[in-house]
Amino acid sequence: MAQIEIKDLHKSFKDDAVLKGLSLNIEKGEIVTLFGPSGTGKTVLLRLLAGIYAPDAGTIGLRGRDAAGSPPDKRGIGMAFQNFALFPHMTARDNIASALTARKTETGEIARKVEAVAQLLKISHVLEHSPRELSNGQKQRTALARALVADPDILLLDDPLRNVDAKLRYEMRLELPVLLKRARSTVLYVTQDFKEAMALGDRIAVLLDGEIAQCDTPERIYAEPVSIGVARLFGDPTLNLVEVEPRLVDGAPEILVGGATIRLPASYAAAAGGRYTLGLRPESLRLVDAPASGTIAVDLVAVTPLNEKSVLLCTMDGGDELLASEAGDRDVPRRTGPGRVALDLDAVLLFDRASGRRFAPADNNGVGL
Amino acid sequence: MSASLSIQDVDKIYHPRGRSAVHAVKSLSMDVERGEIVALLGSSGCGKTSTLRMIAGFEDVSAGTIALANRRIERLAPAARNVAMAFEGYSLYPPLTVRENIAFALKRGRLSAGDVARRVQEMAALVEIESILDRYPNSISGGQQQRASLARALVRDADLYVLDEPMGQLEPQLRAVLRGRLKRLLKDRVMTSIFVTHDQTEANALADRIAVMEGGVLQQFANQHDLKEKPANLYVATFIGEPPMNVFDAAVVHNDDRTTFQLDNVPSFGFGDNELGPEVRQAIGHRRKVVIGIRPHRVALGSGCGETARVISNQWLGDQSHVAMAVAGKLLVAVSHVRVRAAIGEAVPYGVRAQDLHIFDSDTTVALAHGVRAA
Repeated sequence: MAQIEIKDLHKSFKDDAVLKGLSLNIEKGEIVTLFGPSGTGKTVLLRLLAGIYAPDAGTIGLRGRDAAGSPPDKRGIGMAFQNFALFPHMTARDNIASALTARKTETGEIARKVEAVAQLLKISHVLEHSPRELSNGQKQRTALARALVADPDILLLDDPLRNVDAKLRYEMRLELPVLLKRARSTVLYVTQDFKEAMALGDRIAVLLDGEIAQCDTPERIYAEPVSIGVARLFGDPTLNLVEVEPRLVDGAPEILVGGATIRLPASYAAAAGGRYTLGLRPESLRLVDAPASGTIAVDLVAVTPLNEKSVLLCTMDGGDELLASEAGDRDVPRRTGPGRVALDLDAVLLFDRASGRRFAPADNNGVGL
Repeated sequence: MSASLSIQDVDKIYHPRGRSAVHAVKSLSMDVERGEIVALLGSSGCGKTSTLRMIAGFEDVSAGTIALANRRIERLAPAARNVAMAFEGYSLYPPLTVRENIAFALKRGRLSAGDVARRVQEMAALVEIESILDRYPNSISGGQQQRASLARALVRDADLYVLDEPMGQLEPQLRAVLRGRLKRLLKDRVMTSIFVTHDQTEANALADRIAVMEGGVLQQFANQHDLKEKPANLYVATFIGEPPMNVFDAAVVHNDDRTTFQLDNVPSFGFGDNELGPEVRQAIGHRRKVVIGIRPHRVALGSGCGETARVISNQWLGDQSHVAMAVAGKLLVAVSHVRVRAAIGEAVPYGVRAQDLHIFDSDTTVALAHGVRAA
């Protein structure tokens, strides 16, 4: 029995259908990141779980029981939000303790628990400060401490790192999963940042068009996205898309990319005759010197460094653009001008142009997971 | 034809006679070469936007000079400086369509109607706003307005292009491609440009050189390679680079032919003189305490490395592994472009090579040495 069991959930606001039959199961102790573009209803789902909204249809099971009719304060769920929502007139200590005083916990016990969670989140030294004396990072930790202090077995976090600076966000991205695992909570974590979704989640639930398009481990979502819509949400820069029409030549599937003939693995034979969009992750493209078969002639237009990578903007014959990325620093900087691009055929993604769904190659050996 | 820009001893003090005087820019001197792309980078309040506004003419300088194409411009009105601008506050004219807004920037030139149309079209294609050329500014999104404003600046022939957070509001998918196209355009046409950003990714991607500012002071003005390999001080070292540089307080122990950096009890990193070199030892001098820094991409993992540490987290981001380890009561982050298979709690061997070490003065935070060279 899953700790959170969401079945066929529908929610509309006036004529705007936000959730259209959403289903998702989260196991006990699991961290699931809920990820999708803004406006797809991530926060709406959180509010439905918390009991702030009631669904139009569908069911929510919490710890094996139907939550329908159960008010927010009876659901035993901890929450933290991107705007922190701290009480401005209370110290950090009282803000954290407020989650316990509401439950009539004994005073000594409250003090002990607040100290413990503050130490975990490294805010012990600012417990007597009021929210306006705290930095954004400290506010965020205080809000998180308030959510954690009552030992909720279910925790909903709504983009809690959104409003903290990049450096702290990075640190928290490393530390948060450790804290959450230690607290043994079942966590649904909303984010708009694919790196955060990949870094924090045991699984990622991708919310698109009112449904969970895919819920899977970060590795599988990245390597085997179910659709072009999911694939495009991951990667920096995101994947290149090229329209192709595979055909069989001497029994082997081939595609034409930028004037070059690329032979696909035999497992793509069934795609022949169809209309597809080829998805190429920038890191699966390599600039090569020697013209070899299966490489694409390009003009390297610009080199833009990106965090220990270089992003190479290339144009193919016909003017279509390709972004390739290279790891690490080169001793000799790349010069713009004519070159050739080779593809890592194991990382190729093929999407049906009509449905957007990924073509599953006949055997999965190439994907290697 | 673009020109070179020279900023000499420029100060900006807001409310100089008031009690709340703010010294936003302090004695700033920097030269931008003809055709160079320069980024002003820093967190909010560092003085970068004040600098840009003084160059554009939206703010007076409190002291100092600004010269463009060898003529002093700091007292000229914005329109007399021959500077093309894309500013957040410098909005599109509401009664004109996007097309008319961009074309308007060319009106003062003596171009034929056909040439104007061609150039507008070219810039519109570059920033992907062809489909909204006949719309009015208030009917398009913030990101589209930003691109229209960028096109309006780039379409002109100016001595200098001044851009304020040129891609701040664009969606990430478009940003990566636009950066490449913009860089190509600026380089092909030798357009001297200076832009402000708080995003180091943007600065790294576009600029030839980056001016890092903090507290109104220019901290370092250098290319990406030097900012990464030879940061002038601890501020630049930890500000530039994603994830940020790992830094630790260390006690220095010199033995006969060996220098050891002792972190909070454990671990310690020892280097023979043959590794670190006499230059570095001299730079450290008699200091008994320093700050050492190691970039996450330079932390070596795997057998054969000197120390071991417990893995706190191991995150795979699709094309990089980020591994955080517990070292001296802090986190040491290692980044690898190949997938690292290490479980949480596992003890993993790691090491630091002499050439990847950065050493800073504990008090002044000024860099003492980078790798085997004195700073």
